[in-house]
Amino acid sequence: MGNKKKWFILLCVMALTLSVFAGCASNGNNSASNDGNTGNTGSDANAGGNEASNDPVQIEIMLPMKEKEVPSDRLELLIEEMTNTELTFQWVPDGNYEEKLNAAFATNSLPQVVYMKNQNTFTQYKEAMRDGQFWEIGPYLQEFEGLSKLKDSILENTKVDGKIYTLYLGRPLARQGIIYRKDWADNLGLKEPKNVDDVYEMLRAFTEDDPDGNNQNDTIGLADREDLVYGAFKTVTSWFNAPNNWGEKDGQLLPEFMFDEYFEAMDWMKQVHSNGYMNKEFPVTSKEDQRNLFYNGTAGMYVGSLQDVNVLYSETKKNFPDMELDVAAIIEGPNGDFGMWTIPGYGNLIMFPKSAIETEEELRDILGFFDKQMTAELANLMYWGIEGEHYEVVDGGAKEYLDKADLIAREVKGYKDSLIGEPETNGRYDGYHELEPRVKVEQLILEMDQHLILDPTASLDSATYAESGIRLQELINDATFRYILGDIDRDGFQQAVDNWRSQGGDKMIEEFNAAWQASK
Amino acid sequence: MVEDRSIASRLFDGFIYVVLILVALITLIPFIHVLAGSFTTTAELARRGFVLFPTEWSLTAYRYIFSTDTIFKGLANSMGITLFGTMFSMFITSLMAYGLSRRDLDGRRTIMFLVVFTMLFSGGLIPTFLVVKEVGLIDSYLALIVPFTINAFNLIILRNFFQNLPEGLEESAKIDGCNDFGIFFRIVLPLSMPAIATISLFYAVTYWNTYLPAILYLNDTNKWPVQIILRQIVIVATGLSFDDSGFEDAALPPSQSVKMAAIIVATVPILCVYPFLQKHFAKGALLGSIKG
Amino acid sequence: MSDLSVQSAPPVQTRTRSERWQRLKRNKLLYVMIIPGLIYFVVFKYIPMYGLIISFQNYKPHLGVTGSEWVGWMHFERLFHDPMFWTIFKNTLVLFLYNILFYFPVPIILALMLNELRKEWFKRTIQSIVYIPHFMSWVIVVSISFVMLTQDGGIINDLIAYFGFNKINFLMSTDWFRPVYILQVIWREAGWGTIIYLAAMAAIDPQQYEAARIDGANRFRQIWHVTLPAIRSVIIVLLILKIGDVLELGFEHVYLLLNAMNREVAEIFDTYVYTAGLRQGQFSYSTAVGFFKSFVGLILIMMANWLAKKFGEEGVY
Repeated sequence: MGNKKKWFILLCVMALTLSVFAGCASNGNNSASNDGNTGNTGSDANAGGNEASNDPVQIEIMLPMKEKEVPSDRLELLIEEMTNTELTFQWVPDGNYEEKLNAAFATNSLPQVVYMKNQNTFTQYKEAMRDGQFWEIGPYLQEFEGLSKLKDSILENTKVDGKIYTLYLGRPLARQGIIYRKDWADNLGLKEPKNVDDVYEMLRAFTEDDPDGNNQNDTIGLADREDLVYGAFKTVTSWFNAPNNWGEKDGQLLPEFMFDEYFEAMDWMKQVHSNGYMNKEFPVTSKEDQRNLFYNGTAGMYVGSLQDVNVLYSETKKNFPDMELDVAAIIEGPNGDFGMWTIPGYGNLIMFPKSAIETEEELRDILGFFDKQMTAELANLMYWGIEGEHYEVVDGGAKEYLDKADLIAREVKGYKDSLIGEPETNGRYDGYHELEPRVKVEQLILEMDQHLILDPTASLDSATYAESGIRLQELINDATFRYILGDIDRDGFQQAVDNWRSQGGDKMIEEFNAAWQASK
Repeated sequence: MVEDRSIASRLFDGFIYVVLILVALITLIPFIHVLAGSFTTTAELARRGFVLFPTEWSLTAYRYIFSTDTIFKGLANSMGITLFGTMFSMFITSLMAYGLSRRDLDGRRTIMFLVVFTMLFSGGLIPTFLVVKEVGLIDSYLALIVPFTINAFNLIILRNFFQNLPEGLEESAKIDGCNDFGIFFRIVLPLSMPAIATISLFYAVTYWNTYLPAILYLNDTNKWPVQIILRQIVIVATGLSFDDSGFEDAALPPSQSVKMAAIIVATVPILCVYPFLQKHFAKGALLGSIKG
Repeated sequence: MSDLSVQSAPPVQTRTRSERWQRLKRNKLLYVMIIPGLIYFVVFKYIPMYGLIISFQNYKPHLGVTGSEWVGWMHFERLFHDPMFWTIFKNTLVLFLYNILFYFPVPIILALMLNELRKEWFKRTIQSIVYIPHFMSWVIVVSISFVMLTQDGGIINDLIAYFGFNKINFLMSTDWFRPVYILQVIWREAGWGTIIYLAAMAAIDPQQYEAARIDGANRFRQIWHVTLPAIRSVIIVLLILKIGDVLELGFEHVYLLLNAMNREVAEIFDTYVYTAGLRQGQFSYSTAVGFFKSFVGLILIMMANWLAKKFGEEGVY
């Protein structure tokens, strides 16, 4: 070991001296030539896709890593074997993905396949797509049996000026709802909530009526966190039938916060908050602390992704072995209607830089790899892992081994998050669940699919939105929090809306409406 | 040494002891919380919130962390980067700092100003990335070292220390036939051990904490330093990632105790550096004898 | 000794050319020592600085620096006309003043106290403990503070309530943001900050204390007349550098503390740039704001350095 290290250091010193001097000698030219280097000069040696047909295709892929560690290469080897490819995954920690993506893009260092991070990065890269920096893959999709199965309705949401540049990773549309302590509800004689008043009553009773029967005033109803979207608030607005980000009023698209329903939802939350039926400091509560409130028996309700029921169940069970959970999602608003907001059907998108893929031939080879992801065999491998090791098939569904959660997280999760399509299109197994509330979640998701509230701007462009959408949304988010906390009243909120309008909101309304009219 | 044993002096001592012990406790408590949290169960952490002494002992978190070689690889990478980086940086920095500490050097004010200037203005992420790429460092450990060879702050501090050495030293050494290199290595360095130890510590800690450069410049995840692994665990566990649009069920977020164990594993090695360096702090006392 | 050199500096310009050449030749080895460092600064600091010109462009990554459109001062105008501008400017300055007033002296006082300890093992132990927090990332510091300070069952508020007072809204009020911020800074950095001063103190000749004692100086006077003068130049250098950092307050820390209720006092340049520029890929605007920040820092550092020299100190350059 000691010897090895010495050699290593020696080598480093040599390499260093060389590189420093080489770097200095050539740098004058480099920086100059690189400024203008916007074309296709980033041709690293590895880009040879179209050699003899039996050679494995070499593909380099950059993608965000959402897990705690780099996935093991176990599945990678199997995938390579199955698809005749040599894959190189560049995992980039999710939190810094944008920095790496932008730096690599600006310096022509992107690999052949690049995942985006979310809708926000997609919006940012639209301009580069229009400029021809990425392959337009729409025309090729029909050549591939698998890729042609991708859903048109979702591809529609990913178009830029009517052209398809990306493949998508399908996600269930709506999945928000309520997870609550069934044992508490039973103690208090409460039924599954069906409308907003039931929910309110449950929160009240969980707080005031000693649901855990310990004669202490130590419980609250809702545990919420700082996230207005994936926390409780947006789902509450859906219960009140507010639009999803944008809605139509008098033939015009307007943002959700110009609708009365949004105010009703805020008022409802405000009441829950001021009565102490939820954690007082939810605007600064992290997801971890939010869950802890649930795990430790302080709070009895969680509004968010229904799929979280697994985690909430297993962790809460550790503290309260007799605990039971139930889920509910179909919550009617004051008018007896139900609707649920939804994401645009994709979780992430994949793009193909022209700087790394030089020929159509090469592009076809790479698309061929994704085409195979649309076959049940590869899709199951990527999504569920190895049958008999990570999951088993029960009733035509894949049942993950519960005792192997860590192994699955290490070996499968990364690939699972990068698979394109959805069960209907790529043919992978649906999940098989045993936990009763989890089974119910699947039914609820299907049921909610009939009541989706879509975002009409999902496929529309607005220059102002791309430039300052996040900043403007922050004005509204702040005002929403402050309204719920009772810090400002309706006039104060209106003032924030006015600021929003004058700082670019009005232009955004105009642009979205123009794009909307044009698309009709 | 003649000890001052007056009442006032003892009261003074007592006061200092009390204050410092209090300060030590305040700084230590959160660390103990993390340490205790790493040895307990998630259930206890969720129940009690703030744990200083676990009632349910558990090694699950450590078992989990050490069940693959990821963290070992990370630690090994970090140690290599820290060790080599610190030595390299110290070499270049101390030479430059010494040169700039000599008052008879023409242009030193200009150079110092240019150094200070870089503390304020930087070209930003992308141009720096381009330089690193052109120099051929992408995907090399050296990308985490060479672009950070000199920290301007450290250079300025070190130069300040050198400047404060007694002025006569160089003259007498020159008369003895030393050239500037000789003066630096044989006289200045040995006399500046507290400063050298301090700045080495600063570099070591910076290299140990290197994080973003590793993400930007390394594509090969096998080369990742431990900080990326640590941060990833902390971020995922705390639920800080920006949107949830990608999440699916099945995979549990890492438990709080795993998070805390990761902090301990990634922090303790660098914590051990300081006590080791402390002995050099006493060496400055030699100065008097040499001067005399 | 430092006074001497300052006096000897001005005549440098008046010397003749040949004398200067002589000196250059005599010091050639010193230049050799400086060169590797200079190369580093040129390659990794000055060459990338061409990137600053994008603050005068409408930079698009796919067009590059040469291809992007020039827009003059547009981004600066946008910054100065932003309704938030004066708020963030004020917030940043106030936090900076908090740093100077409440944080900056703490490591000095701590170091002076540590230096007075006579039991070596005790000194080392305390030293090794107080610098630990520096290794806790802000995410950890903030989340631990949250657990302790929250009104939803945090121990500190529970204690306050136990003694019959009203719970304090530490985390979501404009009044408490700055104290919480600066306490966290002190907690995390003060122990670490002592290290430089302790190193400076280690270089003090023990005979100086001896001499002071013989003159009848008590402990306070020894600190005042021996220890403090010995670390004075370090203090001044650190202060000057700190002043240059005026608009640089730790993005991650503030960002983690920032919320809808305290934004009024908590939004600073870095957090503003993050949402208004970086998250939306507006490189030019972000760079322009950074440019402005650096410019303010440069002015201040030059003023501080000039003042220091005026008072007979060496300054940083």
